Amino acid sequence: MARGVVVSATNGKRRELWREIVRHRWAYVFISPFYILFLSFGFLPVIFSIYLSFHKWKGLGPMEFVGLKNFTYLFDIGGKAFWQSIQNGIILFFMYVPIMTFLALVLAVILNSKLVRFFQGYRTMIFAPYVTSMIAAGFTFSLMLQQKGGLFNNFLNMLGLPGVPWLEDIWWARVSLCLLVTWGWLGYNMVIMLAGLQTIPRELTDAALIDGASPVQAFFYITIPLLRPVILFSVILSTMGSFGLFNEVQALTGGGPMRATLTTMVHIYNVAFGNFRFGRASAQGYVYFALIFVFTLLQLRYFGREE
Amino acid sequence: MSHKHILYKMTTMIILGVIAITACGPAATPAAEVVEVTRIVEGETITEYVEVTPATLPEAEKPTGKIVLWGWTAAIRDTIEAAGIIEDFNAEYPDIEVEIQYYAPSDVYINLPLALTAGEGAPDVCLVENSHLSEYVHLGGLLDLTDMLQPNLDNIVEYKMFDCEKDGKYYCMPWDGGPVVMYYRRDVFEAAGLPTDPTEVSATIATWDDYLTACQTIKEETGNYCFAHNKANNYSRLYEMVLWQQGLGYYDPDTGEVTVDSAENIATLEMLGQFWEEDLVSDSLEWTDPWYAELAALESPIIATLIEASWMDIFMKSWIAPGTGGKWGVAYMPAYNEGGARASNDGGSVFVIPEQTKNPDAAWAFVEFVLGRDRSVLRMFAISGFIPSLKSSYDDALFLAGDSFFAGQNVNSVYADVNAKIPRAGVYGPNYSMMNGSVSVAIQLYATGEMTAEEALREAAAEIRAGLE
Repeated sequence: MARGVVVSATNGKRRELWREIVRHRWAYVFISPFYILFLSFGFLPVIFSIYLSFHKWKGLGPMEFVGLKNFTYLFDIGGKAFWQSIQNGIILFFMYVPIMTFLALVLAVILNSKLVRFFQGYRTMIFAPYVTSMIAAGFTFSLMLQQKGGLFNNFLNMLGLPGVPWLEDIWWARVSLCLLVTWGWLGYNMVIMLAGLQTIPRELTDAALIDGASPVQAFFYITIPLLRPVILFSVILSTMGSFGLFNEVQALTGGGPMRATLTTMVHIYNVAFGNFRFGRASAQGYVYFALIFVFTLLQLRYFGREE
Repeated sequence: MSHKHILYKMTTMIILGVIAITACGPAATPAAEVVEVTRIVEGETITEYVEVTPATLPEAEKPTGKIVLWGWTAAIRDTIEAAGIIEDFNAEYPDIEVEIQYYAPSDVYINLPLALTAGEGAPDVCLVENSHLSEYVHLGGLLDLTDMLQPNLDNIVEYKMFDCEKDGKYYCMPWDGGPVVMYYRRDVFEAAGLPTDPTEVSATIATWDDYLTACQTIKEETGNYCFAHNKANNYSRLYEMVLWQQGLGYYDPDTGEVTVDSAENIATLEMLGQFWEEDLVSDSLEWTDPWYAELAALESPIIATLIEASWMDIFMKSWIAPGTGGKWGVAYMPAYNEGGARASNDGGSVFVIPEQTKNPDAAWAFVEFVLGRDRSVLRMFAISGFIPSLKSSYDDALFLAGDSFFAGQNVNSVYADVNAKIPRAGVYGPNYSMMNGSVSVAIQLYATGEMTAEEALREAAAEIRAGLE
């Protein structure tokens, strides 16, 4: 008998929950578009990819079950381009993320200090590249970075300096890509920092200044520690961004020269939609996900702890 | 589980099965239609069923409706439309509306396979470059045109059908070929003391060795580069042309075996490497501003020659180098070995009809009208120089005319002659993107001195072999 009581109790709870849902039905209707879109375009493809990653499939026709072959493939010559793209992501991360994050922070502090007049105007100008089409910007950059007759090299020549093989050399091509990415994403990161800064009470900095700290000391010992979670957020997004760069690469370098700027996202896209190996691309997508997951955990572990 | 449950399940499965079978029924609208014909023979009424193809249908049964066409502006707007082909088509088929949607070739490569794999969103007729054609033919989702092509099959240049075919069936209607010739600057050749007459140029530069010598002369005498061949971002088009002329490629077209690291392929790359070693070629990347500037230049630095397909003709005249009219000549490309083929292919295009089309009759009517008739292909050739794939069209007077851009030379006959001699080669194919991608990286590594030709191509071949599995 006791069992029956429990069952009816849960039934009662369920009925109550259902009543709650019905009562708030309009709220659910209003938030449903996101969930419907997320389920169909976000969640289902992710689940389907697991299934795909164990199959050989060209996008049409029958699927062939291949077990773990799509994963073991990565640990031989076939995985060369994939690991090169992971390596590129790490290199690009160290090349632009520290500089971009620091610049974003400095600009945010300057704009927050109210020392600058018309700071909304500057904020808009710095943020504008973020809303610009990256394809258009990348194409413009590629014209400006041309070795012969490009704006950048013309300028260097005017100063009496030799031209730079911006897109013709492994390292310079990476520098070029970092220039474009920093230009495009600086404003976005600055706005995040600015939002973070506005939550820090001004009294803390003021008190430090009265106690004799210099503005630079106040910046390093008060602002940065208090801003740590915001900086961490911005750096984690940039980490994922480094491996996930797509439009920037397609428009500027196409991944060359010699795959020096091939990012993981571009590589996976090529495998799926260029080579029609959807199973292999799905497997690489999951390995990529696992690696990003580990990188993010490490960052949270080492930079996210409270002191 | 109760019996009732099992019964339910079984019933559901049977219903689902029936739905599945019904859904997989035969595809609608065969190429030919069966028409009932009644006639009176010796006083008796006989009813016969006769198969007729759409082309022979009486006026009232001409296909109707709307078709959507994807293609790039140079071919659709500047050629098909400019030649008035759409109006002519509508005069014959007044009830077919052609809606043109412009897609750059690179956009076709993104959108067509997506539409084919998604099962919807494809146009009724799509223009595709030969380089990527075979990938889509093997992907599936294109309409089998074998029966419709039958009357014209012997009239189409052989090599155009290689990439079109899978398991004995044809999935495309060829438009223009990519016969490769050597364009050269008469003024630079004259300044370098080389012959300027096309026949003499073809005789003097008969092999790639001769070409190397001529390039050295040009460099010494005029200081100009011979041609453009970028190192760090090379995407192997010239390499492919030199392989193709030898009947070589990335794979053996008969066995499918990967030949990227064959001794011949390695030797070919090393041969091209000599031009880099001796600093005879410009580093400008094809299809970028510095390259256009060197092609259009009236004084140094000039690119003195250009090994490229005949479709380059219209691009040079119309927008790359219109100011260089009268300064160019067209010779045969050098043979790899003495006496070898002086013909190769680069690019070219075809029309395909995706299986998804709701109106295959109208789509085929359009393709047949535009590409299956001498009159249409010649009018388009006259406008843009896209050399037709219909052999019957080569007898036209257009192929005898001189061209002022080439100092009065009759270049069309050279294009047609080369087009008929292009050998079979395994360059384009069902895995072209993958092969071209790996080999391009190999060429870049070799050109920039990171690896020897052999090391680089071995690695590319290993990568391709692993990738094909």
